[in-house]
Amino acid sequence: MNVLVILAVMLCMAMVMIGGKTGAISFLSLFLNFLVLLGTVYMMNDPANDPILWVIIACVIISCINLFFINGINTTTLAAFLSTVITMVGLLLFILFMSDLTMINGFGEEEVDELSLLSLYIGISFAELAAVVIIISTIGAITDISISITSPMREVYLHNPGMSRRELVQAGFAIGRDLLGTSTNTLFFAFFGSYLGLLIWFKDLSYSLGDIVNSKIFAAEMLTILCAGIGIALVIPIASWITAFLLVRKK
Amino acid sequence: MKKRLISASPLTLFLYAVLLFSFLGSVYFIQHNHGFYDQPIAKITEATVEETQELSDIYGNDDVLYTQHLEATVQNGEYKRRTLELDNEFSLSGANDHEYKTGQDLFVFIDSASADEAALSGTIDNVKRDQYVLAITWIFVLVLLVIGKKQGFYSIVSLALNAVILSYALDIYIRTENANLLLIASVSVFLFTVTSLLLVNGLNEKTYAAIVSTMLGVFAALLLAAFAIWTSGGNGLNYEEMQFLSRPYEVVFMAGLFIGSLGAVMDVGITMSASIFTLYEKNPDISIEAMKTSGIEIGKDIMGTMANILFFVYISGSIPMLLLYLSNGATWPFSFSITLSLEIARALAGGLGIVLTIPIGIFTSIFFIKRKRAAQ
Repeated sequence: MNVLVILAVMLCMAMVMIGGKTGAISFLSLFLNFLVLLGTVYMMNDPANDPILWVIIACVIISCINLFFINGINTTTLAAFLSTVITMVGLLLFILFMSDLTMINGFGEEEVDELSLLSLYIGISFAELAAVVIIISTIGAITDISISITSPMREVYLHNPGMSRRELVQAGFAIGRDLLGTSTNTLFFAFFGSYLGLLIWFKDLSYSLGDIVNSKIFAAEMLTILCAGIGIALVIPIASWITAFLLVRKK
Repeated sequence: MKKRLISASPLTLFLYAVLLFSFLGSVYFIQHNHGFYDQPIAKITEATVEETQELSDIYGNDDVLYTQHLEATVQNGEYKRRTLELDNEFSLSGANDHEYKTGQDLFVFIDSASADEAALSGTIDNVKRDQYVLAITWIFVLVLLVIGKKQGFYSIVSLALNAVILSYALDIYIRTENANLLLIASVSVFLFTVTSLLLVNGLNEKTYAAIVSTMLGVFAALLLAAFAIWTSGGNGLNYEEMQFLSRPYEVVFMAGLFIGSLGAVMDVGITMSASIFTLYEKNPDISIEAMKTSGIEIGKDIMGTMANILFFVYISGSIPMLLLYLSNGATWPFSFSITLSLEIARALAGGLGIVLTIPIGIFTSIFFIKRKRAAQ
């Protein structure tokens, strides 16, 4: 038996037992997201395809699955979809700029030994892949926050139809701020967990502070964690403005 | 603008002043810290590509290899202000090389034999990245403060605090012989949970219920992962990507799984306890059954998205390695198992933690509410 199969079966059973039909749909969407990711990797494997273009396409498909497939198409999910895509594109440009400056492209020292038998000249831009990695890592959290802002905003507006656009935006900000702490925590610990091996490796080598701060791996980790945090914060104003714009215009 | 500043409380003004001061101070320091490094640093003044060579390997990958000649000025140490000549090779794809540009700072080794010549010669060691790491940190802090205000501040404090706890815990692990990483991780997980939840929620029963359910939830995830590995004899997990470690990587993997699922489990734990306590506060006579039903309804809505968040964080990091294997003629199943097996196992185990925390959170909250009722 394979560990991954056992874990997947256990997860599926747990989701269905606790969530019933919703649980089954959640498991299915997890699986669909995985297929979309594999499809994206397949497209990027051809150097003629631009990784940046394909990561944007992947983001659009993934947000469609997570928003429309699970919640149906309505003003709320539409607003969440727009805010996710706008935040993603903005964040992508920022990451491309920062990762170009920081030169975090390619593999870290700890990985290079393992790669000695492989050809590294594969014609795919690793600078762009660095941005792809950061963007994909935040997509789940960003769709989650945007739907968690837009749907209560609609409730607020339905209960107070006389609200001005400005007041509604403020309500959106308040909702978003309450989510900020737990969402950033979710991402930070996930990153801590996956970087644990690297952190132990750093400590084992007893690097000086200067060595650590200037090393490619550490800079790449910091950039990933902090850009993910920035993305989570940025989606708050974007989702609030877009939802307020869509709702109040409809009147 | 002026009015707003005056209306702000003295404490807020003081905090802004501290922020501004540390911002200016750190930016000034990082621009002028060359003297603090023992290794010579050189600033590139001229970069020219001298040779271009097209490459193609046996798998049909095409790439271009460039040879670059750099002129740089040494910024520190005994050769300060002298000119240095460097050579660099880089490829179009840049998997393990970089194209350098004018104005960048590089850590270099200087050949001592060239000390008497007009221009020094040497080799490139690393890029000086500290100023960019600082810049992104400040952008993060400012964005979170401007958008998140108080909550943004708490997020930053909680990140910093947890990073310090983790670093300290790893120091203990490295320094102690035969240290048990899982034990150290368990203690840290407890500290992470307590600090993060207290920062977000303050001292109250809601927080206690969330802490208890989070701890039970992550331990459940860890136990189930251990059970899955035990029944299958570890079949399907490939530790190739952790081979740089000179430590037992199975344990490091388990500890990473444990810490990695914590944030998501904490999120579910606090959501469950907060919503059940809200139900109770709105209607103190609410029946246990009603609380259970509402709790399950809330849990259903969040479990999918939370599992998704973990999934994307874990899988994304493997994309470059997956592409490299695929481009080197490896089959999909092989590349998949070498680069993705650990990440998928982590994501699935984290997902289990999330789902199990829903009933755990419901029962823990109900337990605390029952105790409260009995005390009244």
